[in-house]
Amino acid sequence: MSERKIGDVILKVDNISLRFGGVKALTDISFDVREHEIRSIIGPNGAGKSSMLNVINGVYHPQEGTVTFHGEVRRDMDTHQAAEHGIARTFQNIALFSGMSVLDNIMTGRNLKIKSSFVEQALWFGRARREEMENRRVVEEIIDFLQLQHVRKTPVARLPYGIKKRVELARALAAEPKMLLLDEPMAGMNVEEKQDMCRFVLDTNDQFGTTIVLIEHDMGVVMDISDRVVVLDYGKKIGDGAPDEVRNNPDVIKAYLGAH
Amino acid sequence: MIYREAGQFKTSYEKDSQIFPIAQDRYAVVALLLIAFVAVPLMATPYVFSAILIPFLIFALATLGLNILTGYAGQMSLGTAAFMAVGAFASYNFMLRIEGMPVLVAFVLGGVCAAIVGIVFGLPSLRIRGFYLAASTLATQFFVVWCLTKVPWFTNNSSSGVITAQQIEILGFKFDTPQEKYLLVLAIVAIMALMAKNMVRSTVGRSWMAVRDMDVAAEVIGFRIMRTKLTAFAVSSFYCGVAGALYAYCYLGTVEPEAYNLDVSFRILFMVIIGGVGSILGSFLGAAFIVLLPVVLSVIVHYTGLPNSVTSNLELMVFGALIIFFLIVEPHGLARLWQIGKEKLRLWPFPH
Repeated sequence: MSERKIGDVILKVDNISLRFGGVKALTDISFDVREHEIRSIIGPNGAGKSSMLNVINGVYHPQEGTVTFHGEVRRDMDTHQAAEHGIARTFQNIALFSGMSVLDNIMTGRNLKIKSSFVEQALWFGRARREEMENRRVVEEIIDFLQLQHVRKTPVARLPYGIKKRVELARALAAEPKMLLLDEPMAGMNVEEKQDMCRFVLDTNDQFGTTIVLIEHDMGVVMDISDRVVVLDYGKKIGDGAPDEVRNNPDVIKAYLGAH
Repeated sequence: MIYREAGQFKTSYEKDSQIFPIAQDRYAVVALLLIAFVAVPLMATPYVFSAILIPFLIFALATLGLNILTGYAGQMSLGTAAFMAVGAFASYNFMLRIEGMPVLVAFVLGGVCAAIVGIVFGLPSLRIRGFYLAASTLATQFFVVWCLTKVPWFTNNSSSGVITAQQIEILGFKFDTPQEKYLLVLAIVAIMALMAKNMVRSTVGRSWMAVRDMDVAAEVIGFRIMRTKLTAFAVSSFYCGVAGALYAYCYLGTVEPEAYNLDVSFRILFMVIIGGVGSILGSFLGAAFIVLLPVVLSVIVHYTGLPNSVTSNLELMVFGALIIFFLIVEPHGLARLWQIGKEKLRLWPFPH
């Protein structure tokens, strides 16, 4: 891995508790994410990993705790604010717009950069037209970066699973996010696809300096590419630190392998 | 062999995102417009204008409106005719009550009024979807027609509720004959279709489709769901409103609430389904199909010597069968068939 400079804390979650009725999805979770780092969240099924991401980008609103992003403290974000502040994400179950082409899907990621009104767009005149072309250029760079040229105009519904995951990453990158939340980007992939995806994640981190929060079940991948790892189990944090520390943490071993 | 795009290279994004990226398509569209604007007015009979071409264009516009809402933004609506009625009555009242109101401005204002009503009745879409939304737009249909019948102000205290539409006059030129009305309708429809195409290929259209396909993801990306849905309702209702005004002024010649009943809403929904959900071209194909079907059937009935009463029943039966056929076999309608045909033509005469 190349020389990367890990910066200051960019995101901090403090004492987050999230309940759905009587179900405690998250209990008193605190951790931080530093700028430019790859931070993984791991844990057995149902540990609350996806819920944690949903709290960070405002899909869920926790009952207690605060989220601090770029020095701004929030009780809860709304999704739009999160997007405006530069948090983008991908989903565990692919959430692409299946009726649209790859190009259009990625273009949707640029929507916050487009300022023209729908009337200007209807007339395809002046600013609307210029913005469309400028953003198209940026999108083409991302298409290039993620090697999606051959499927540019294909409707996403027709694509194989691995490519769909990549398109979703492209859509998230199109927003030029400061922080990227990846929810199991490699789930269900074969070894080669996983390697490709790993490379794209590392390249993103490397070239754009994007901070990445990653949920992943493949321990090999997690231990290889993460700078630091948070471990959740039943909605509680049971470990936090560099991959090696976490690997040898007795609580983590217990959660994964059972009591011994 | 003719329909081949070999040798046509796009060297800019602008060229690549043209409405018709293939040169042959562009020539075809120019030819079609020339025929529609020049050849047809020279050749067609008044019957063809007022019984086929004008209703076809007006229904195509209304279908386009519904297609924006249902096909692109994914919001079901059964209130299309109600929005048309709002457009027609608003135009009528603007022309009646404001001295010297230009017709085209009145049509636009009629569309704007329809858009406002559309936004109001689109509010339930923020909480409900699918069939439940369809049921709530059904309320629009009944409410608007009821309102126009019951409040005498809208019909200018006309006792019968049927009002003769005002003369259409633009810059001193009177549109009296079917031919002139056809040209007016054609010009308006052509411009509005182009604008619709522009919308669906830019951000506003992508926001509609994003909300249609996966609303959570759309929200996370930064689209505002409420604004997107209400824009779709507004734009859709605007199109329907203008179509409604044209329906009254250029087709019926009268402004009456009963011309905008639930039947019309359903007809337009059928046009969307048969033509192609989420397709601008499909709106035209669907409208053409459904406007022409009764004409063709009556010709068939005439030549087979069946009694004339058979025609209307036959029409209903064929409609029903076709709707079922399209829903099962080709949910994307005629537009999809057209597209498949074009794909095939690109390779013809080779199999791959």
